[in-house]
Amino acid sequence: MSITAMPPCQAACPIRTDVRGYVYAISKGDVSEAIRIIREVNPFPSVCGRICTRACESACRRGQIDEPIAIASLKRFASDETMEQKDIFKTGPYYTEKIAIVGGGPSGLTAAHDLALLGYNVVVYEAHDELGGMMTRGVPEYRLPKNVVMNDIERILSLGVEARTNTALGKDITVDELMKEYQAVFIALGSEKSLFPKCRGIELPGVITAVEFLKQVSRGQRPYLGQKVVIIGGGHTAIDAARTCIRLGSPDVTVLYRRTINEMPAGRIEVEEAESEGVKFRYLSAPLEFIGRGRIEKIRCTEMRFVADESRRRRLVPVEDSEFEVMADAVILAIGYNPRTDDIKDIEKISGKRGTIVVKDDTGTTNLKGVFAGGDVVSGPMSVIDAIASGKRAAIAIHRYLRSLPPKENEEPTVLKPLDEKIIPLIEKRPQQKMAQLPVEERIKNFDEVNLGFTWEQAISEAQRCLNCGAGAEISDECVSCLNCVRVCPYNVPVASEYKPKIDISQCQACGICASECPALAIDIKLDTKEQSIIKLQNAINSAKNISGNNSEIEFYCQYKKIGKPGTETSKETSIGKPCIARIDISQFIKPFEEGCKKVKILACKDNDCHFKECNKWLNKHVNEAKRILKESGLDPEQLTVVYE
Amino acid sequence: MVIAEIKSLADINEMIKSFRKIFIVGCGECVSVCLTGGQKQVELLSSALRISGRNDKEKRILKGKTISRQCEPKFLEQINKDIEESDAVLSMACGAGVQTLSEKFRKIPVFPAMDTKFIGVSDEAGNFIEMCSACGDCILSLTGGICPVTRCPKGLLNGPCGGSKNGKCEANPETPCAWLLIYEKMKELNKLEELKNINNPKDWSKNMRPGKVKAGI
Repeated sequence: MSITAMPPCQAACPIRTDVRGYVYAISKGDVSEAIRIIREVNPFPSVCGRICTRACESACRRGQIDEPIAIASLKRFASDETMEQKDIFKTGPYYTEKIAIVGGGPSGLTAAHDLALLGYNVVVYEAHDELGGMMTRGVPEYRLPKNVVMNDIERILSLGVEARTNTALGKDITVDELMKEYQAVFIALGSEKSLFPKCRGIELPGVITAVEFLKQVSRGQRPYLGQKVVIIGGGHTAIDAARTCIRLGSPDVTVLYRRTINEMPAGRIEVEEAESEGVKFRYLSAPLEFIGRGRIEKIRCTEMRFVADESRRRRLVPVEDSEFEVMADAVILAIGYNPRTDDIKDIEKISGKRGTIVVKDDTGTTNLKGVFAGGDVVSGPMSVIDAIASGKRAAIAIHRYLRSLPPKENEEPTVLKPLDEKIIPLIEKRPQQKMAQLPVEERIKNFDEVNLGFTWEQAISEAQRCLNCGAGAEISDECVSCLNCVRVCPYNVPVASEYKPKIDISQCQACGICASECPALAIDIKLDTKEQSIIKLQNAINSAKNISGNNSEIEFYCQYKKIGKPGTETSKETSIGKPCIARIDISQFIKPFEEGCKKVKILACKDNDCHFKECNKWLNKHVNEAKRILKESGLDPEQLTVVYE
Repeated sequence: MVIAEIKSLADINEMIKSFRKIFIVGCGECVSVCLTGGQKQVELLSSALRISGRNDKEKRILKGKTISRQCEPKFLEQINKDIEESDAVLSMACGAGVQTLSEKFRKIPVFPAMDTKFIGVSDEAGNFIEMCSACGDCILSLTGGICPVTRCPKGLLNGPCGGSKNGKCEANPETPCAWLLIYEKMKELNKLEELKNINNPKDWSKNMRPGKVKAGI
């Protein structure tokens, strides 16, 4: 497996975010670099940092040791901490073609963002009076504050993207009209038409869809809920609606779900948070009829159970004679959504089942020339990151269509393998940082954000838990097959093969000891390459000489022990942070003296206080050897000092 | 493999003191493997020489390169230009490498930066141990694969001597007695009986210097 193999977090991300890259940047306290890496692929970091479905975390190999890295929370941290940075790279336009995007949700806005960066003129049409789609109308503020979404959207608009709100496809504009003015159209209408259970009584006043309910609340309206509210459904929207009811002061809120918590599309954490706020859950229960005189009063329900059919698939069936009634002053329906395309006449040629638009492949190409589609309108409701990914694919497809380039070939990345069982016990356990939350009694009174974000200390500590998967050792052709790497690795990763040693990049922990011990300088560590090390050292030496002339001093410190918010003492230009100082080879200790520096100080960790293994053993070896060289060269070895902190 | 050690910096400085442009040549074979003469050591030696020459009136110019095998004249072609631009060459190779360099570049002084020690192997604990004296008349078939000519300081062919104590050698208490090792090994091989045979004196005429082996190309 080559050094380019992808970490599982990145491979699991629908937009292939360089998670390792930005988490490492945060571990060094460099949030600007972190957000730069994130924004390279994702125009919605503040959104994904809060409500992403986090496939990356499920794939994270740290989970094999203790718990995965809190990746989304770190993304949120990078985004929150750089909210004020407005250094937007404005581009183009390089091309004359104009592109219309229909739908200002995550998919449409991402396509707009990417196409604007590619150098096109982009206009976004939005049916509502505000951009954002479900991000601003669907997800409540306590989970995703509107101002952070708007911050991301403003950046997109600042690229020169024009937004025309209150303009609905099928009502105010048609695809045919758009195709006369624009060279390509991307339809990303979303999926906001609620599904209704096949029960009598859904027309009763007091029965409302969750989308409509959340939309009204987001606009400051307060629908009548009475004393008892029942939410039907088990997805994110159902939970969002329930917790919103609590915040509006409803004393009795129950979620009725036909399956069990194990089948719930909403996560267990969301359910627990809702329960802690007072939401009740009734599983394996489905409505049969909504009953009331002029207004909803109660729901006739049945209990459900799973039965295995002939093909051994579990099927959900009502339990006989199990009917019961639930009193309700209001019912909120959240059982699913379809795209709302029935009244859009000129897309009939490309419409599919349940209001969706049919595309030819995952680039969103449709049977209408120049018309592309993506996001929920194609797939039905999905996660925000999937919508973003679909917008990105469409942007590339539109660009290639307009430039007459062949379609981009899909390359499946090679992914790192899981950690070996024999490596796992060698890695120190460190629990995941837990984000502070508003106390329950406070948060149920308002719509303030529940999760408060990481502190600097938490973010750095959490980022330092990352195993930097795949950023380890690579052996070059200079290897002389001495097998020293096989002998020195604290994790026993390198092995002697028929000719040269081999280092399994899936298992290498990137501690760097093999590289510092290689007599042929044939090993480089992707995490902290030789080239980067030389540049960092030279910059530090130059700064030291500028500041103190012949009295200059260089300091090396362990990044895992001494890192803080920018501006603190470790960010001195003459200090060099290293992801563990055992990796520093002797030449780095000697080089400053060669250039006329007076002192080199190494801030080392105390024994047994080390991120990797056996660090002090190797540090001492390197320091002793460097001191010997200094002495032989006529300098005082004490000019090189180690301070254990 | 040939094991060599770097000379002291004082000795090296003494050899090159009258030269300014010095080219250090490392070797990618034995001395890289025994961690004393590879590219890393080339760079460290050049740093050390730069530091120790820091007070010279005219600064030293040091360049370095490691070539895959210094004892192969064909590999030396690649440094023709570097040699032209230098006043002296420091070879970080075994004596064979130094001499090949010296023969190839006859107009420039070539100095050894290393002392060639012996033919040996790693003991896996950071040491290299002598194993073979290149005597030209191998008797390992008689001694269970352990060479008494090299590993017994007396080179006894019929040991051990009276100086073997607790399995160690009287010449150096850290050195295991080669003949005890031979005994243990022969026991494992069920060949202890063979040790009753008296080994005849070796044919030292096969050790005539300089050695020459005809390989017939």
